[in-house]
Amino acid sequence: MNIAVEIGGRGKRGLLLSNPVMVASGCFGNGIEFRRLFDIDRLGAIVSKGITLRPRQGNPQPRLVETPAGLINSIGLQNIGVGRVIKELAPIWATWRVPVVANIAGESVEEYASLAAQLDGTPGVSALELNISCPNVENGLEFACHPPLAAEVTAAVRRCTALPVIVKLSPVAPNLVAVAQAVVEAGADALTIANTYPALAIDIWSARPVPSFGGGLSGPAIKPLTLRLVSEVAREQLGVPIIGCGGISTWQDAVEYLMAGASAVQVGTITFRNPRAPLEVLEGLESFLQQQGIEDLSQIVGAALGS
Amino acid sequence: MVTSELRLEEAVVVSQEEVCQDTYLLWLSCPPLAKGAAPGRFVMLLCGEGFDPLLPRPMSYHRFRQVGGETQWAILYDVRGRGTRWLSQRRPGDHIWAFGPLGRGFAPERGATNLLLIAGGLGIAPIIALADAALAQGRTVTLLYGAKTASKLLPPSYFPTDLEIVFATEDGSHGHHGLVTDLVPSFLPWAHQAFVCGPTGMYRELANVLRGVSSTAKVQVLMEEHMACGTGICYGCTTFTRKGPRLVCRDGPCFALEDLY
Ligand SMILES: Cc1cc2nc3c(=O)[nH]c(=O)nc-3n(C[C@H](O)[C@H](O)[C@H](O)COP(=O)(O)OP(=O)(O)OC[C@H]3O[C@@H](n4cnc5c(N)ncnc54)[C@H](O)[C@@H]3O)c2cc1C
Ligand SMILES: Cc1cc2nc3c(=O)[nH]c(=O)nc-3n(C[C@H](O)[C@H](O)[C@H](O)COP(=O)(O)O)c2cc1C
Ligand code: FES
Repeated sequence: MNIAVEIGGRGKRGLLLSNPVMVASGCFGNGIEFRRLFDIDRLGAIVSKGITLRPRQGNPQPRLVETPAGLINSIGLQNIGVGRVIKELAPIWATWRVPVVANIAGESVEEYASLAAQLDGTPGVSALELNISCPNVENGLEFACHPPLAAEVTAAVRRCTALPVIVKLSPVAPNLVAVAQAVVEAGADALTIANTYPALAIDIWSARPVPSFGGGLSGPAIKPLTLRLVSEVAREQLGVPIIGCGGISTWQDAVEYLMAGASAVQVGTITFRNPRAPLEVLEGLESFLQQQGIEDLSQIVGAALGS
Repeated sequence: MVTSELRLEEAVVVSQEEVCQDTYLLWLSCPPLAKGAAPGRFVMLLCGEGFDPLLPRPMSYHRFRQVGGETQWAILYDVRGRGTRWLSQRRPGDHIWAFGPLGRGFAPERGATNLLLIAGGLGIAPIIALADAALAQGRTVTLLYGAKTASKLLPPSYFPTDLEIVFATEDGSHGHHGLVTDLVPSFLPWAHQAFVCGPTGMYRELANVLRGVSSTAKVQVLMEEHMACGTGICYGCTTFTRKGPRLVCRDGPCFALEDLY
């Protein structure tokens, strides 16, 4: 059975995932936390917490609000900054078999380019994921909603690195297909669909919004929404793999995403409920494929799209 | 290299009892979660079937006991919302999924023979775990224990017999009339270390009170913050300390008071 997934390649440096199950940015720390708690080498890839140029303290509390089968978070990209990531985390990542994708977030085209340039050639970093879709920082959605801006940032990063470049899109872009087309033309090697949905809850006892400036909704509640977005973009056959991400909580969810046209998936919020969830998704997927007599993962990718 | 596996374990309810108004004592049998458990550390409990409520609820270890070669453990909790209401409806023999033990607990030093424990309200839950352990190690322990009113205090029969307890209630219905922090200045000089659990307002008040008292006692407090993962991977539970941002679930919940206020 072949379940490996290739991202990039096409003559450039590629990233080969041993299987399609990755863990989503911000939902697995930096991988370090779990390395002694289960066999992380079995994962397809680990995506790091969002990395910025300078260290960020993140947003004030409250940062988390539970909603029906969902979670609104407003972490605000708390991280130690790219310098310390390169010095302290990358050397650890370099010793692992599982590839680590560095998720980067900037406030300008120049910042994204600088992050890419610094991470390029860093042992331990196997690919970049551009977070152009964070709802929890000022203007975080700017790049994700405007195709020309999304293309500009992708092209700038492309020029600074030989690493595979994955662009992570926002589910609330007014025209997601246009954004997807623009970033692929600008050199993206893959698309992650998608980030969280801007959302809000109200604490009725204090008549205040929580989190204070809203946050991003994730978890099982968003699965049907993001699944549809994946199928919309997959229909366009843009020629790059799509990584489905949104509410994947069981192996059945992962199969749905693959059938909707994703070549790989990222498991996020559900890991907070069940630390082994990413491995359970992988194990369930493997037995499903075996049971169905499927020899190659690509046989089910897009199987539900029709002709 | 995997040294100890973190996974959902099935805990079996041994007993469930309402020990005072809306406060429940739940004894569980789940040997994997007793291994490595310590006062101040916590577990995450799934409070319901399916994905709603989605997130596990953090609960402190409250008590341990040996039953036929097995270590059972208990939690003490208030019914506050959906999750804890679901918990309160579990009956002996029911199963609850949980993972842990998590976090850094209280750290009593080897030479500290006189321990002052301070609990506000349900903060008593982890404090009793520490009292049991400290008494078993032969330390001398005094507990200052406050609540809003007498009906929210655990009954005296609940406590180990060689524990000295001083009660306080905000309405004066039992013990000292006022805040438990009022009592601290007269006891702290005696103590080698102090351990505190209660609402954050109590920690701020305590820090104020301590500014007027000279004592070498090192004060450790248990912080509480809303958590999603409990394992250090979501960055949701950050508290801003004098030493910078820290994760309550991984760097705590036990912190030095002087680092916080
Ligand atoms: C490390 C740690 C140890 C804890 N130990 C205990 C314990 O031993 N006994 C006990 O009764 N409670 C403890 N708590 C608090 C407990 O986790 C919450 O009371 C519980 O999650 C409420 O869940 P619910 O579904 O009943 O309430 P919800 O419907 O979720 O909320 C009801 C109320 O509880 C508050 N709340 C919800 N989640 C949390 C949370 N994670 N932390 C703090 N407040 C919360 C909300 O602000 C709200 O006011 C602990 C919390 C932490 C962080
Ligand atoms: C607590 C939390 C933190 C997150 N941090 C990031 C981040 O730093 N960068 C990023 O690109 N996405 C981040 N995300 C979004 C997730 O990677 C993912 O796209 C989203 O949660 C949807 O997937 P899920 O429903 O499976 O969680 C975060 C999500 C959560 C819940
Ligand atoms: S609760 Fe997720 S990092 Fe602490």
